[in-house]
Amino acid sequence: MSGENILEVRGLNKYFGPTHANRDITFTVRRGEIKGLIGENGSGKSTLISQIAGLYPWDSGEIVFNGEKYCPRSPIDANNCGISMVMQELGVIGSLPAGVNVFLGRTNQFTKNGVVSLKALNRAAEEVFEKWGLPKVPLNKLTDGMMIEARKIIELARALSVDPQLLLLDEITQSLSLNNRNKLYEIIRKLKEMGRSVIVITHDVEELIQITDTITVLRDGAVVGDVVSKETTPDEIKRMMVGRDISGAYYRADMTPAFGEKVVLSVRDLTVPGEFENLSYDLHEGEILGFCGLSDSGIHAVGKAVYGLARPSSGSVRLKVSETETVAIDRADTALRRNMAYVPKDRDSEALMLHASILENFNLPSLTDLEGKAGYLAPKKLKKRAADLVASMKVKCTDIFQTMDALSGGNKQKVNLGRWLAKEPKVLILDCPTRGVDVGVKAYIYALMKEAKKKGIAIILISDELTEVLGMADRLIVMKGGKVTARIRRDEDFTEQSVIGVMI
Amino acid sequence: MKKRNIGLQDVVPFAAFVIIFAFFEIASKGKMLSPFSLQMMLDQSVMTIVSGCGVLFVVAMGSIDLSVGVNLALSGVLAVWAANAAGGALLVPVALVTGLLVGLFNGVIVARFKVPSFMLSIAMLIGIRGIVNFIQTNIGTQFIPEATRVFAEGYIRYPLFFVIVAVMWYVLEYTRFGKYCKAIGENETMAKFVGVPVERVKVLAFALSGLMAGFAALFSVTSVGGTTQQMGVFFEMKVAMAIFLGGVLVTGGFSAKLYKVLLGSFSITIIVNGLALIGLSETQYSQSFQGLLLLIILGVTILASSRRRKVPSTLDEEEPDPVANESRGK
Repeated sequence: MSGENILEVRGLNKYFGPTHANRDITFTVRRGEIKGLIGENGSGKSTLISQIAGLYPWDSGEIVFNGEKYCPRSPIDANNCGISMVMQELGVIGSLPAGVNVFLGRTNQFTKNGVVSLKALNRAAEEVFEKWGLPKVPLNKLTDGMMIEARKIIELARALSVDPQLLLLDEITQSLSLNNRNKLYEIIRKLKEMGRSVIVITHDVEELIQITDTITVLRDGAVVGDVVSKETTPDEIKRMMVGRDISGAYYRADMTPAFGEKVVLSVRDLTVPGEFENLSYDLHEGEILGFCGLSDSGIHAVGKAVYGLARPSSGSVRLKVSETETVAIDRADTALRRNMAYVPKDRDSEALMLHASILENFNLPSLTDLEGKAGYLAPKKLKKRAADLVASMKVKCTDIFQTMDALSGGNKQKVNLGRWLAKEPKVLILDCPTRGVDVGVKAYIYALMKEAKKKGIAIILISDELTEVLGMADRLIVMKGGKVTARIRRDEDFTEQSVIGVMI
Repeated sequence: MKKRNIGLQDVVPFAAFVIIFAFFEIASKGKMLSPFSLQMMLDQSVMTIVSGCGVLFVVAMGSIDLSVGVNLALSGVLAVWAANAAGGALLVPVALVTGLLVGLFNGVIVARFKVPSFMLSIAMLIGIRGIVNFIQTNIGTQFIPEATRVFAEGYIRYPLFFVIVAVMWYVLEYTRFGKYCKAIGENETMAKFVGVPVERVKVLAFALSGLMAGFAALFSVTSVGGTTQQMGVFFEMKVAMAIFLGGVLVTGGFSAKLYKVLLGSFSITIIVNGLALIGLSETQYSQSFQGLLLLIILGVTILASSRRRKVPSTLDEEEPDPVANESRGK
């Protein structure tokens, strides 16, 4: 039996205070099996695999790994047993170079007389990248300034460098663009061929069915179903996750672009060195303008540049402020003052104050509007506004004084989005707004976007999810290597095939 | 709506204050609570509090200003010199402008050239002390002009002190500038991405810290009656200690509250005076004793706040259920 199953989890229970995060979880992973784990935010997936990865102990039950009782004391301990993990929230140390991050906690092997040989370490890191065909990342650079995708790849390299028998991937695909996703799928296939096993967590049901052999569905901390991927459908999985039928139509139904005549924002010949060049476009009132492209296409820098956060070498971003007047947006504080809004991709490190209250997070972008005489910010006014927003955005929390880090990903995103929508901005820039949220919140975010569009808010939607851009945008700009390769309108050839054709 | 959860890390500084106060009150057989002793302790805390109110804005941003001690010395020395040379009317403006300029310089260097504030203010601490020593060896210690002694009177001194504290309280807790400082401390990248003018806020916060050092210099020279050789020595440490002792986290952010400066300053004063009252200050090891007490209080505070932050990193997976969060808040 131990020859067949690499991992057996039996009756596992985990409590966080009174919260029963995992209830009697029992499931097995066979050798060479790709196992999918899916469930809504808060269903206990990450908790489950974090325990397997040795991040924290379970309260009762047992895990058998490789036929032996398994009880890791730390992630390093788990590594030594042959289990490694890529975490959902970012797990690299920003002040260390990429290469060192790959061998974090295991630099001893490169130590001579108490000194770590960076040369040997980087060589070993390079070998890992080559062996698994990972996209190149500058190994000597600090990870601090790197894009979220590069940091994820470093984490993946770290997990693979252990040469794991069992690899745990927690929502990694959502941070990757299409080309690197394909590389990841290849790695997973390779591991399978080698007889290694993988547990994958993702919110993307279609993707999960495609890449896994079997899927275990969790709801409220308990296993509610085990299915074979080939024999199931996305709808069946969604039904199991939520416990009821949910309609699949959360995107727009119409296929005609619909937006106002007025140009709200115009970008001319904008060049940001190393990101993109000579980008020009107009954004209209009530328009959703989509941007898509692979990882080096520069689409994420487009959002930053529009909000005045990049240093363009040439070109201009101009916002219409009245019938006759436009202003240049070259700094973020100008953008804020002129009522623009930016929702960055990396929610936790770029958008939120995790240790501060919901109240403070909600009000930060609107402080100027809330000021009374002598710049007085009346606590009553701030509290009322936050309470109203919590209610209207349906944020699940105990009260407005709760700190952000106690909220689930979906609820964090509601706060992040709600604080901007409440200002009714002229231009709303969304960079991967549904990253790491479950189907329910996703549907809600799309509904909010439709509503904002109706109000005449101009939206720039940058996304790694092609279906999302195709589902929501009026026009689409496809980029590749920092240049525009196609501009497609909703009533033209608006399909995945045609976009992928010009994207790669 | 429920009231804000009160965490252990907010309670400890209060408890420490009460305990040391009670301890010295009993150990000194009630001398601590005499009007004379209380007024003396307030007088001793005034400078720390005034300067601490300014430094608090810097600490809220997750930075530190260790130059307030030498800033106080420079502002004081220049102001007294100017007042003696060209008339008493110059005392106040010269003290304040000097303090402000030093702070402005700090702010520009930190914000524009991204020099870590810790290193910059240590460099300033050494460099400006040199300037102060140079000036003092040339002109010697000086007395303030007769006309400016009025500042030492209670009816000017205390109202001025209370107005300063009230204004700083207002700016920190109820204005955009105060919130922005805290937001930078919570997450500087976030602040930048939201559109907070981070550079400008930093320059202003350091300038404010400098201005408050200028005010502290005024209180210093008027209460002593002139300049001294030891002016401002170790003052920056006392101010920083007061802030952290009051329960402000080194990372700043929304843990920065003005009452904590008052609490920390009084705690320090009580320790120093309490040791004197029970006759320990004459011994050679009284300073070690002060250090030990501070260490214990800080240790407990940090222990309390780190326990609160020890939450599983995958909270994302937990349903924010009301009961669970309450237990986590403690």
